[in-house]
Amino acid sequence: MATTNPMIDASSAALRPSSSLLVLLPSAQQAQIESIVAALAASFPNDGLLIATPEGTSADSNANIQFVELPGGKPSWTLTAVEFASAHQVAQKYSTRAILVLGPEAASLSTTGLTSLAHAAMNDSTDLAVPCYDLPARAGLVNSSILYPLSRALFANRARFPLAVDLGLSVRMAERLGVAAQRFVALHQSDVPLWVVNEAMVAGMRVEEVDAGPRALPQPADPDLNTVLPFVTGSLFSDIEAKAAFWQRARVSPPVHRGSAPGAMAADAAGEVASMLEGFRLAYNNLREIWGLVLPPNTMLGLKRLSLIDGAAFRMPETLWARIVFDFLIAYRTRTMNRGHLLGALIPLYLAWVASHVNAIAAGEDPERHIELHAAAFETEKPYLVARWRWPDRFNP
Amino acid sequence: MFNVLAIMILGQTEPNQPVYADNASILHHMSDALHQSLYRVLSLLIAVLPGLLAFFVALAVFTLVGMAISAALRHGLTWVKFDERLTHYRGSGVDWTPTNSPTAIVARVSFWGCVLLGLVIGVSAFDASYATAASLPISLLPYLTHAVGAILLLIAGTLIARFLARSVLIGAVNAQLQYARFLSLGVKWLVLVLTAAMVLDHLEIGGVVVELAFGILFGGIVLTLSLAIGLGSRDLVSRSLESHVERSERAPEIRPPGTSAAGEALRHF
Repeated sequence: MATTNPMIDASSAALRPSSSLLVLLPSAQQAQIESIVAALAASFPNDGLLIATPEGTSADSNANIQFVELPGGKPSWTLTAVEFASAHQVAQKYSTRAILVLGPEAASLSTTGLTSLAHAAMNDSTDLAVPCYDLPARAGLVNSSILYPLSRALFANRARFPLAVDLGLSVRMAERLGVAAQRFVALHQSDVPLWVVNEAMVAGMRVEEVDAGPRALPQPADPDLNTVLPFVTGSLFSDIEAKAAFWQRARVSPPVHRGSAPGAMAADAAGEVASMLEGFRLAYNNLREIWGLVLPPNTMLGLKRLSLIDGAAFRMPETLWARIVFDFLIAYRTRTMNRGHLLGALIPLYLAWVASHVNAIAAGEDPERHIELHAAAFETEKPYLVARWRWPDRFNP
Repeated sequence: MFNVLAIMILGQTEPNQPVYADNASILHHMSDALHQSLYRVLSLLIAVLPGLLAFFVALAVFTLVGMAISAALRHGLTWVKFDERLTHYRGSGVDWTPTNSPTAIVARVSFWGCVLLGLVIGVSAFDASYATAASLPISLLPYLTHAVGAILLLIAGTLIARFLARSVLIGAVNAQLQYARFLSLGVKWLVLVLTAAMVLDHLEIGGVVVELAFGILFGGIVLTLSLAIGLGSRDLVSRSLESHVERSERAPEIRPPGTSAAGEALRHF
């Protein structure tokens, strides 16, 4: 499932020092750390493992395994700048061959998934190994609706989880991410996530997606969607804005075949969908003026039609959703209004997408197929984004 | 007056004198009065003219200086990639994000700063010449400065009212409060009433009446909002709070991987 950047040259896989695999583990119970280390040791019997944890020590007596203390930061639900900066520092200090960064609750990864990721990291032809998790149909919805389609359409990479919590890195990828992370750390913004897939594509690195199987994804400490969604989407929008020169050139991402997740029962969806649609209609009645500053008349008309649909028949058209996200991205760039307000106004629209997705899977549609349809619409509508990005005033109502 | 009396006396002693002689004298005196008035006004204008000229010259010179400084700053900051550096510095965690780029804001602030400086210097020059030459006790400067302050207060108040109204509206809609628009309007008018009272107070218009009216209006709006939320929407508030608490309790649940989607809670991350 390797995805190659079309801009890459043949000599992308550089020579690496022959040393061990550095494994960065978050703070966890001793038993969980030991099970991860045991799985990796069994998979790499001839290679030395350097395990970096906040605790630093372990009772493990294997000669090939060395433990070091990882400069600790505030534990986060996703990989942040401080972790990439630490990974780079430790990898540089011990001259490791590859780096495996594991996020919180890494113990929930299957042994196969863990070792596949580690092998991909040790593979000389890969710079960035990204896991593809097997999640339940109703999990990771922000990723499915915004992060994955945007990343795929703009950066021509079909990594299903651009904000994955486990990663395999080559030394040069770690170096690049370390430099990028260092800027945020120096400015006391250690909790900012890094968009590693985007960074890899811009740098011309080789990205490989690995089937990692099921995993319990850590959830944000603050469960309030009104806080977390603007934080994550704002971070991605900023990254896209910074890399505009790269993604405006046309690219086509190669097709990927993935498995499907099980659907949900129709009875479960009705209550949640009704609540989300009520919220959407309330937002349509109250936020129309604010949305009107961001969205063109055609999209507003589409939303008006949507506000009249009720219950199980509610579906957000793929093109409409793609244009909404693109228009919000444009407004973020042109600063049409305060960015906090802008991303706050996106939340009811996102919930409308969730309602549509829940309806689709309750009706028996394959959730992955539904997500892929939306992601494909983002690719199709990319010229609209590029045109508006270059001439934002041309489409203004 | 004496001339008029003399003419009247002469008129009595010489009965053959024509009657229009009195009219000519009145016209003459009116003309004198008009001339004197015109002289006084022209003298005042001549005295004020240098000050007026100084005002316009100061304004024009400082506007030109402002344009030059603004252009220099714009080029300089673009050259040192000020916007990009600031973006990196701020990262993505900052909530305040202005509509224009930082370079444009710095250039614009420097330009309008110069214009304001020119305005103040011009008004000062005008006021000095006016006060000395016209020998009038009224000085324009304090009132003008108060007026400028009042305008700035009005602009700031309007911007803050708009910002807060929008924040409240979006927050209330996302919390699924049915009276989101009403709350937003209430906050907006609270800030606008406060601003209006401050502006009038700054201009020293109305005195105690404004303070009294402001107190009544402000208190009235707060009372209306309290009654509306406390009584009219009591059930809605309790439902909103209950659903919020339920959501907060549900969200951090971490389910084991691979479980069936049936009966599974929605997880956004």
